[in-house]
Amino acid sequence: MTAAVISPTLPVLDVRGLTVGVRQQAGFRPILHDISFTLMPREIVGIVGASGAGKTVLSKAVVNWLEAPLAIDGGEVRFEGADILGLAAGDMRRLRRRVAYVGANPMGALDPTLPVGRQIVEKLMAVVPGSSRRESERRAIELLEAVRIPSAKSRFHDYPSQFSGGMMQRALIVDALITNPALLVADNVTQPLDVTVGAQVIRLMKELARDFDTAVLFVSSSLPVAREAASRILVMGEGRIVEEQATEALIANPRHAYTVNLVEQTPKIWSGGAATQPQATQSLETGSDREVVISLRDVSQIYRVKKRDSFAGVNEVRAVRDVTFDIRRGDSFGIVGESGCGKSTLMRLLSRLELPESGELLCHGGDIGKLRGKGLLDFRKRLQLVLQDPFGSLPPRTAVGRMLEEPLRAHGWRDRKVIRERVLKVMGDVGLAPELYEELPLGLSAGQRQRINVARALVLDPEILIMDETLSALDQTEQFKLLDLFQKLQREYDLTYIFISHDLAMVRKVCNRVAVMYLGAVVELAENERLFFDPGHPYTKALLSAMPVLETRRYQPEDCLLDGEPPSPIDLPTGCCFKTRCPLAFDKCDTISPSLMARGNRNFAACHLVTSQAAPPNSQSGGQPGPRETEYQSA
Amino acid sequence: MSVVSSTPLAAAAELKLLARSIPRRVFDRASGTLGFRIGVSLFLILALAAIFYPEISGIDPTKMDIRARLLPPVFLGPNWSWAHPLGTDQIGRDMLVRSLVGLRYSFLIGVASVAVTLAIGCALGTVAGYYGGRTDTVIMRITDAQLSIPMIILAISVLGVSRPTIPAIILVLGLSNWPVYARIMRSVVMTERRSEYVRAAQVGGSTDLRIILMLLVPLLLPPILFTSVLDVARMMIFESILGFLGLGVQPPTPTFGNIIADGRKYLLNAWWIATMPGVFLGLTLTSINLVGASLERARNSIHGGEA
Amino acid sequence: MFVLAFLARRLVQGLVIVFLVSLLIFTLLRVVPGDPVRLMAGGMAPEALIEQIATSMGLRDPILVQFGRYMGNVVQGDLGQSFVRPANGAATGGSSFNDATRGERAKVADLIFETLPMTLQLAAVTLVIALVFSTIIGVAGGLAPGRWPDKVAFYVSSIFISLPNFWLGIVLALLFSVHLGWLPAIGYNGFAYTILPAIVLAVELSPVLIRTLVSSVSSQMGQSYVSVGKVRGLGHARIVANHALRNASVPLLNLLGVQFSSLLGGVIIVEFIFDYPGLGLLTINAVLQRDFPLIQGIAIVTSAIFVVINIVVDLVATTIDPRLEY
Repeated sequence: MTAAVISPTLPVLDVRGLTVGVRQQAGFRPILHDISFTLMPREIVGIVGASGAGKTVLSKAVVNWLEAPLAIDGGEVRFEGADILGLAAGDMRRLRRRVAYVGANPMGALDPTLPVGRQIVEKLMAVVPGSSRRESERRAIELLEAVRIPSAKSRFHDYPSQFSGGMMQRALIVDALITNPALLVADNVTQPLDVTVGAQVIRLMKELARDFDTAVLFVSSSLPVAREAASRILVMGEGRIVEEQATEALIANPRHAYTVNLVEQTPKIWSGGAATQPQATQSLETGSDREVVISLRDVSQIYRVKKRDSFAGVNEVRAVRDVTFDIRRGDSFGIVGESGCGKSTLMRLLSRLELPESGELLCHGGDIGKLRGKGLLDFRKRLQLVLQDPFGSLPPRTAVGRMLEEPLRAHGWRDRKVIRERVLKVMGDVGLAPELYEELPLGLSAGQRQRINVARALVLDPEILIMDETLSALDQTEQFKLLDLFQKLQREYDLTYIFISHDLAMVRKVCNRVAVMYLGAVVELAENERLFFDPGHPYTKALLSAMPVLETRRYQPEDCLLDGEPPSPIDLPTGCCFKTRCPLAFDKCDTISPSLMARGNRNFAACHLVTSQAAPPNSQSGGQPGPRETEYQSA
Repeated sequence: MSVVSSTPLAAAAELKLLARSIPRRVFDRASGTLGFRIGVSLFLILALAAIFYPEISGIDPTKMDIRARLLPPVFLGPNWSWAHPLGTDQIGRDMLVRSLVGLRYSFLIGVASVAVTLAIGCALGTVAGYYGGRTDTVIMRITDAQLSIPMIILAISVLGVSRPTIPAIILVLGLSNWPVYARIMRSVVMTERRSEYVRAAQVGGSTDLRIILMLLVPLLLPPILFTSVLDVARMMIFESILGFLGLGVQPPTPTFGNIIADGRKYLLNAWWIATMPGVFLGLTLTSINLVGASLERARNSIHGGEA
Repeated sequence: MFVLAFLARRLVQGLVIVFLVSLLIFTLLRVVPGDPVRLMAGGMAPEALIEQIATSMGLRDPILVQFGRYMGNVVQGDLGQSFVRPANGAATGGSSFNDATRGERAKVADLIFETLPMTLQLAAVTLVIALVFSTIIGVAGGLAPGRWPDKVAFYVSSIFISLPNFWLGIVLALLFSVHLGWLPAIGYNGFAYTILPAIVLAVELSPVLIRTLVSSVSSQMGQSYVSVGKVRGLGHARIVANHALRNASVPLLNLLGVQFSSLLGGVIIVEFIFDYPGLGLLTINAVLQRDFPLIQGIAIVTSAIFVVINIVVDLVATTIDPRLEY
């Protein structure tokens, strides 16, 4: 290998004074200013910065992959001693063998109409002339196995659409490393992935890079994620490198104000303590005597999709399975889980956009499935929804005021003046300027738009608000502001919140009670403190161990992190649905599906390892229906 | 990841947002192109001529003049005259006036039948897309059936056995092309129906009808109107085909189709009778197609690909 | 296995379509005013004779009864007999109707399957011309959005789509046949007679093909797999030929399936202009002569062909792009 010839003291990558910008008729607008750094062989260096800092432009410039209108204005990118920016297209193409790149969009990276394996082989044969097809195929399968793609031999012939995001990202890492490159640029590779999958990908990438002696430039918008991967970190702010330190030193002792801010804004789960706990949540911690407003009884939802290979067959997707819990007045109830766990389906059931296949959803004791006409309208008034996408959730080309009047009109309000007053009052409550009344939402920030969404939900004076990933599109600062707003509104409007989220840190901060979902079922239901400090289910532990944080973890990835990905909800395993990924699975899990078992007063986990020795005395004395643990048994 | 980068989503959404104020942006972009300007100018010239020339010249398109029969267009043969710039036919009728009157009929029938098509197609497509399920299946099967027979067979069958009046022609043309719009409308409504703002309206208590009329139709109709510009040209071709087969507006009213059919008999000694109206029709269609295609290209580029 | 399941499902759907088409055209022909018997017997025939003929042919039964009887025969492969055409020789005019010749009227199925090969030949030549021409113009345009090949594609398709087929037929016949004498135009007496009609049809078909190709090729070139392909080390030619064109061919295929019926519509007119003895000419004559059984037969056969073509198109498209589920 050529890598062996290069002296180890010579950097693989040496960027000097790199300036990149947008070149248009109007002139040149720089994005990167005078960037210089080096990367030694086998080193993993992280580049961290907020969105818009120019990280992606930098990673593209480093592999000489800028497309118009982006243009280089000065500086050099030296790869193994030679500047690559001036290379002719053909020479650069040959160099791709040594310089590899993996991006943030795994699903779009390959031709959707050809098998994944074939495309990896195509690439290998294109950049390494003279390699034989059979040998290339063997090597591709071998590497697919190395990144733990199950049954790699048959997966080799599958199409990109048959791969999940996590699997695709692993296949692309194979695609990048199969030519044994000296440099891999990984641009935000975990961004589209769930936390547990993202953590796996980082681990596999580190393993392979070590095996192949590949140096990695690991670009990420998240400092904790970069910390997992890199031994040294460069911090970027507004197109400049503002700080460079070894990873742990940087976190312990950030010097530049930008870095200090970055470290401070990273959410804390365990070390924050009571200070981050909202007042309201604290006082509600033990209150099981409050009125139950929403109650789910063995709610299941099944979608039927046409079976691919049959004449009239349908597959049943069990999106939500036998979910039972109560939500009490004043709760901030969190529902967390990774993509595909059924939380969105649950949101649609709770807001009665869909009716469940079986089971009941009760609101103040009445089954919402049976509501019609006036009764349904009353329910709509009680429970409102705030959605995820700050752009897609507002009707286009409608003035803000008009948007907020719409629910009132739908509920029979007629007096224009009264409507206007009401809308203006709510706009004030959520912090929207009254001048926006006649304005289109064009040009408003994501945060402002989410305020409009909240206002639209509040205008009917509801009791319950469902927040479906409401904050996930916002940056940290905006998130903090809206969370404060939510707490203020909760006091003023006497609201009950249901937060649906994939973000454990957010849930830790605002929810007093949390349900963890996996494959459509609730696997753990617990009070905030208990869930984060003493989780009862191995899946919860895995989630906590995969959380990218800067503090000392309570749960170590080495002990808890999962292999593989959730099985298909069409083809659920027998017994415990988590057994295929559980590090603690034993023979009982193969046959018997665990029910939610009580762990003390109001905490439950669906795992055989939970010893229900402490039969909860309080759960009966509370006199409330409460979760009926005996009925949690799933089919 | 817990620290979500907001840019990719925001950027994608910002694009979506730009696409939202479609009609203006599409129009602005299209009107800057050369094709659009040529098309509009050509159309205006032809339209002004069709509106004013027959009346100003005072020539009756049906008036025979045996002495002036079979005159060639100016400069294009013996005995031409400025009185009849495009020549005359076998019984001395003025070709220019006849073509321009034909243009009036053709254009009006084209626009009216597109309106019929739009109304039926969009209504059925919206219902199919919004409600889905069995309603959708039934409507889509009918659509497939209609698409599987050439509209011309349908049109000539109906008009061939009944009397071709103008309303009948409009109705037949309109009825034979709705499936295209039903399909487009269905697919866009199906996507929008799942969007968050529709969901928010549902949870807010708005009825289906209110959502369709207040939210979906105002949003989805304008881009489809751009497509329908091209269809006006298509319908004009079909109208002239019907006229050519003797199934369009009946003589003595001149239409492109019946003039060309007449002229075909004199092809060898008076080639202009069959070809000149065709040039007129072709120019009109080109002007409409240039405008329509520019609008569609502008729309596609704003959508970033196929809409 | 799943190919069979797909075929079975699509054939059932296809039967539904053909059935609906039959019902539609059957009802339409009987609802619209105009009595075919009057036309067959001639304007001078006495009312009583017309009633007698109509009753004996079952034309005075309720429409649903007539339709049931008709479909019963269709299922057995019998499309009925022409109202006006004798079993041998050319069409007879309406006025020459008399009882003696009634037994010898031509079978609709025979008439259709005699003329179908001629039309298929015309369609095949058309497709070859149109595809070659459109692919060159369309792919070039799609690979250079905003530059001259794109503009050429835009103007060529805008002008071609503005040429009415019957007029173009007349002009080309006048030019190439009458004036230049290069190609024969009227009737059929050898393969050369197919060329002019095919060119007219290709001009009609090309604009949609060109537009679809331009937009699908240019949108494929904007896909991320194209730019990622570059950083993966694939050459530009390889990306275009192996990946972009492959993906761009799917919309083209689907378009061909949908365009079938409008191509057929063009065939009718063009065959009429060039007196080309195919299915189109047969259709026009059937309509002009109010030959109901023949019109119905043609509608059923063409919709069946439409169904088959679309099944084939979907099969091919699915082989190219496996995401398109069967």
